[in-house]
Amino acid sequence: MKMTLMEKLNDVFRMVFDDETLVVSEATTANDVDGWDSLTHINLVMAVEAMFRIQFSAKDLGSLRNVGDLLGVIESKGSA
Amino acid sequence: MNNELIENGQYNIGHICTRQQCLNGRGDKTAMRWVDAKGDRADYSFADLDRESNRFANALTSLGVVGGDIVFTFLPKMPEQFFAFLGALKLQAICGTMFSNFGEDALLDRLGDSGAKGIVTKKSSLKKIAHIRQQLPALEFIIVVDGDSDPVEGIYSFKSLMEEASAEFMVESTAADTPSVLHYTSGSTGKPKGVLHRHGSILSQNMTTREILGLQHDDIFWCTADQGWVTGTSYGIIGPWSLGVTQVHYGGGYDAQEWIDLLSRERITVWYSAPTALRMLMREDQGKFVTADFSSLRHIFSVGEPLNPEVIQWGRRLLQRDIHDTWFQTETGAIMISNRPGVEIRPGSMGIPTPGMEAVVVGDNGDLLPDGEQGSLCLKQGGASMFIAYLNNEAVYKQKFRDGWYQTGDTVKRDGDGYFWFMGRSDDVINIAGHLVSPFEVESALLEIEEIAESGVVGAPDELLFEKVVAFVSLHDTFKPSPELELKIRLHVMNRLSGIATPQEVIFLDGIPKNKSGKIMRRVLKARYLGQDPGDISTMEI
Repeated sequence: MKMTLMEKLNDVFRMVFDDETLVVSEATTANDVDGWDSLTHINLVMAVEAMFRIQFSAKDLGSLRNVGDLLGVIESKGSA
Repeated sequence: MNNELIENGQYNIGHICTRQQCLNGRGDKTAMRWVDAKGDRADYSFADLDRESNRFANALTSLGVVGGDIVFTFLPKMPEQFFAFLGALKLQAICGTMFSNFGEDALLDRLGDSGAKGIVTKKSSLKKIAHIRQQLPALEFIIVVDGDSDPVEGIYSFKSLMEEASAEFMVESTAADTPSVLHYTSGSTGKPKGVLHRHGSILSQNMTTREILGLQHDDIFWCTADQGWVTGTSYGIIGPWSLGVTQVHYGGGYDAQEWIDLLSRERITVWYSAPTALRMLMREDQGKFVTADFSSLRHIFSVGEPLNPEVIQWGRRLLQRDIHDTWFQTETGAIMISNRPGVEIRPGSMGIPTPGMEAVVVGDNGDLLPDGEQGSLCLKQGGASMFIAYLNNEAVYKQKFRDGWYQTGDTVKRDGDGYFWFMGRSDDVINIAGHLVSPFEVESALLEIEEIAESGVVGAPDELLFEKVVAFVSLHDTFKPSPELELKIRLHVMNRLSGIATPQEVIFLDGIPKNKSGKIMRRVLKARYLGQDPGDISTMEI
């Protein structure tokens, strides 16, 4: 069965934050995930770029307020 | 020194910050305004702090903890952090604090070296502890603030323990030299060292909060530091509450608009933060600051890394206030040098010594150096907040003192007016946004990755963080560099050590330069990175 974009993104979060029980939603923010700070955010961005084979621009990164925003940017870049 | 602070010879930090405030008529006063990440607020009076820390002291007693035992908190900023810290100290247990984003290696180093008896943490961190628990024979219990008890596994619910514990606790008379707080700090070699403080440190923390930060009884103080950091305990707990001052503690992370709103809405009068946070604020739209109400804000202070003059100019321009730099170390426990209010600020300098503190600059042979010459910063031994031991490492502790002077490891120079200027570290320790990271620890974590044959780690200048971690790695013959491997390397270090220790750059080399003894030549790596002359490389093997 094909994974949805959200499921793939959730897997990236689990890998980055080393927590196989982590479940994120579109409303999830950095304040909701233990260890998600400005430094680990860089790792998250790198992981998303690698897994979805996309490149974020500085404008993309500045627009991210929650997981929904991140998902929106991934979708806008045509990744599936 | 404020000897009125000590009543009947009682130096106990937990008692002074809670019960003594109640006895002095401040029981109903707000000690902590807790603002969670969603902006919800809860006020805790000094009587609340006293009661909750009493309960925690009784809870620890019920688990067999006695004076001198070591208990760690491994929590993000949250009210339970403060109750646990103060309660442990009331019992005369030693309270260690750790950053909640530490990975398994960082945890194992600290819990293992200290022989900690217990740890207070969140459910989400249990997995990390479970992975290393077999290597921690002294660890008897885990208290989980948001989970259920499982006594067979030695796991106890914070909520249940507190409900069952009495709200009354008689703090035994505590001498100044009784061990109190434990923070681990990194060196350039070996594992992190446990810096042990004593209850008598409260004299310096109280005095500097009053005399340097200028706190008065009607102030509302916000210290942004995490309690895993010495600033978070000395000035996010001990100093202000020993003076009966209201503190705001915020459970969210860095968010420029939230911080501006918090300063304005909570009518913060004195704000203590760090250069990295201030530099992040500098990148924001200026309009955010122009429209904000900072009318209550009297003073802004900074700590952790050198404060660059541009930040001070930004503060003057947009906040119409000076930003005062302060300098201290985990080992010194309290502010030793500062650009304090009332004294002319020399932008870019560390400032002048705290009243009563003697600081000198010495050369390699131990001779005092004249003003203007660069040397090692040394502080007169004997300050109330100076650490009393590196846990289990007396030899290294003794090496830090020479002829009655504490060797800070910082290289400085002093100008003709007595202002000190930070020039660098005399070792390889990397200062990332005020957090010290040992290159040795990162190198060790890198060698756990199967693809990596050798590693060398250095600090390099960074505009935002002051310094960043740069990792040089050489791979086993069968592996090749790739973006995926770089990501794997970063995530491995982040999850084994911490986000702070994660290499910001990974550089693949054919070999890591070493001398004939096999020691990594970090200075050669650093020179290579910075495009500088590596100096004498006659002993280099690769």
